[in-house]
Amino acid sequence: MSLAYLSPLWFFGYDVALEFLFAVVALMVSIFAFRIYKKTNQGQVKLFGISFSFISMSYFIQSFFNFLIVSEVNAHVCSALKIQSIQMFDAAGLYFHMILMTIGLAVLAYMTIKSEKIRILWMMIALSLFGIFLSASRLYVFFLFSTIFLILLEWHFITNYLQNKQKKTLFIAIAFLLMLFGNIHFLVSVNHQLFYVIGHVLELIAYLLILSNFYLVLKK
Amino acid sequence: MKRDRLEIIFDILNSIREKTGIVLQTHILYKSNLSHQMLVEYVGELIEKGFILENEDKKGKKNYELTKKGYNYLNDYQVIRGFVDSYGLN
Repeated sequence: MSLAYLSPLWFFGYDVALEFLFAVVALMVSIFAFRIYKKTNQGQVKLFGISFSFISMSYFIQSFFNFLIVSEVNAHVCSALKIQSIQMFDAAGLYFHMILMTIGLAVLAYMTIKSEKIRILWMMIALSLFGIFLSASRLYVFFLFSTIFLILLEWHFITNYLQNKQKKTLFIAIAFLLMLFGNIHFLVSVNHQLFYVIGHVLELIAYLLILSNFYLVLKK
Repeated sequence: MKRDRLEIIFDILNSIREKTGIVLQTHILYKSNLSHQMLVEYVGELIEKGFILENEDKKGKKNYELTKKGYNYLNDYQVIRGFVDSYGLN
């Protein structure tokens, strides 16, 4: 089961651009978090930066492999590597995306529980990755674990908003809620092509909210 | 409302900046509103992380000096606060 085959034909190309945009926004947040960490030495900020680095890499890889699939470069690379079909790109892109995104979300979820026992993080990563790759329906289990992590995250961000009612905290709570909806939609949907488009649109709104929050933080 | 770690660090560093960058520990204690033990822990951490320097005068009295990193923290505090608050990282 692959993501590329889930995409409707008319959406080819748009998904590559959107994934690239998500990667850039996540990278900006990650770099900024590391800059804040350098000034504060707060362990949680460091974890936050690490998690967004993984999330950014997962989108860059997804975008890159989807680009290979839809572009003419694909034919040349297939020919050079003696690959008969684009299935290998599709699978490689999907697996890298799943691994990196799972690690990113696990680190972010670990950050919210504010534990100092790093073994908990390793256990969360190991359990989710083994769970995904030992399953017969890897993509489904990937979305299941992502949903669990996103529920933990949404809980944290809503609590944060209730304790600190500001536009900035509200944007982040809504952004992660939209990501959660995207994941839940996949788990319950029958029409996965529609999911693919809706998922990307929800993520676009979520990342635009994260970007708006970024602007508000930098605006003194 | 209880102050968090970032705010306490801001208060300590700001108490040094207000006195042109060098102060005695008693001044920090008075301005930061912390117990002596808490202050010793925070000051130790700030020295270790390079926000302040510990010096000794001719009489053997310790004073504390703000470093460039300490000044940067104070200047960027609002941005740091905004980012940390938005994601609940405190």
